[in-house]
Amino acid sequence: MIRDPAFAKILKTGPGSKIIDQGRKGMGEFGIPNSGPLDQQAFQWVNLVLRNPLNAAVLEITQPGFAIHFPFPTLICLAGASANIKLNGVQLLNPSLIELPEDSLLEVGAFKQGALLYLGIKQGFQSELSLGSRSFFEGITPKSQFSKGDSLLYYTNQEIPNLRAKPVFDRSYLNATHIEVYLGPEWELLPEKIKAEILHFPLKLSAAKNRMGIQLDSPFENSVGSIVTVPVYPGTVQLTPSGMLIALLQDAQVTGGYPRIFQIAEKDLSRLAQKNVGSQIQFTPIKS
Amino acid sequence: MVELKPSLRVLSPTLSELFWEQAATDQLLGIKIHLISEIKQTFSSKIEEIRSGYQTLTIRWADPTFHSEIIPFLDDLELVSQPLPDRTWEIPVCYDSEFGYDLNALAKAKSLAVNEVIRYHSQASYRIHFIGFLPGFPYLSGMNPILAMPRKSQPDRAIPAGSVAIGGNQTGIYPQRSPGGWHIIGRTPIPLFDPNSSPPVAFQLGDQLVFRPIDKSEFDRIRKFKPQLLR
Repeated sequence: MIRDPAFAKILKTGPGSKIIDQGRKGMGEFGIPNSGPLDQQAFQWVNLVLRNPLNAAVLEITQPGFAIHFPFPTLICLAGASANIKLNGVQLLNPSLIELPEDSLLEVGAFKQGALLYLGIKQGFQSELSLGSRSFFEGITPKSQFSKGDSLLYYTNQEIPNLRAKPVFDRSYLNATHIEVYLGPEWELLPEKIKAEILHFPLKLSAAKNRMGIQLDSPFENSVGSIVTVPVYPGTVQLTPSGMLIALLQDAQVTGGYPRIFQIAEKDLSRLAQKNVGSQIQFTPIKS
Repeated sequence: MVELKPSLRVLSPTLSELFWEQAATDQLLGIKIHLISEIKQTFSSKIEEIRSGYQTLTIRWADPTFHSEIIPFLDDLELVSQPLPDRTWEIPVCYDSEFGYDLNALAKAKSLAVNEVIRYHSQASYRIHFIGFLPGFPYLSGMNPILAMPRKSQPDRAIPAGSVAIGGNQTGIYPQRSPGGWHIIGRTPIPLFDPNSSPPVAFQLGDQLVFRPIDKSEFDRIRKFKPQLLR
């Protein structure tokens, strides 16, 4: 395969656009977070469809109003949120695998469903590896997010791809509101009344949402207070002293001092991360 | 030492946690260090990662089918408290109010002179129990309880990298810029975390750490030096 380097250029972006791969594993002992994809399902799908290595780096886009120019031909694939996508000014219908001719402009408009759009590219984006991963993280990679005018290295594909199949990304998980959880080690410390409330009521996502975690807008009484610092993970749900629930995500710190009331089932982390501010979820304990 | 045998709880199909009810001591730290190396040797590629807290060791399994293997391992375990290393890192700290912008308020709240706070802080020897919170942030025991100060009710938005701080009965160093609720008493010019080094953090669990007061001219002179071993 011909691997000629080319540079895509970001012409427009909101905050939070990042290069993401499977992240840094085994580095928690140095205090280094995972920084994998927030939506594992969408990440794996774009690389599968592109026949990429499983860990090929993709673009994670969290805001509408994104535009990127590709000077040379390649294949890209979109998954995750469904958004209005234009290629060279023409609106695409159900875009997934897309053949880009030379001098292509791809524009991302309003998100119709979901919060995270994944843009994979043939052979993956080629940013610098830092501690074994290309995932952007402040203090580890030179950039922590993209700005207008930034360039990304990719390999142009001079062969003419044969796009017979039109793969369809199944978005049904974006509608799901139930999040399965394992009861956390500090769950038993909560009074019965608070336990019942947390499991009974739907919980609303507050505006405090980023790659570190999601704060749920549902104040409960926390009679436990803080605890001696313990390990935490993506998917750990903490109860803060002010009574908020925080669901930790991929960039979360590796230890924490709040009671860990749940550990979210890994398969449900994608659907949680795809929820928009203001939407509601409900935690369902897994019977063991 | 039977009472220092850890208990086991399962956080998820890929997360097993060993924990102790006892508060963290040097003896418990020695046991944890021994246990970490035993777990790594026994399970090698079956584990993805081990994270520590003060009274916890949590194992991330590479695959959910492995997690029950911890039970026979614990049954057969001979608990040994590893003697803690003598290795001591010297961290130069400038306690000037330009860097330690909460130092005056902390001294006042504790009815101590600023010099006394600096003396108590820099005379103690600290033990690294684990790295957490931020890349390269060491959790330390050994602070003189006279310096204990509840965390700020309103966290600072951006604490500068290198800030040395007190929160509750702990002291720590912020390796990178971060929000945080601790009281900032000084700053080190030495980077504690270098993503281009392998490993990116020079400290190991059980190492000791001391703070050496420096003035502003030395701060500027030794900026970006690597952490130095005292012994």
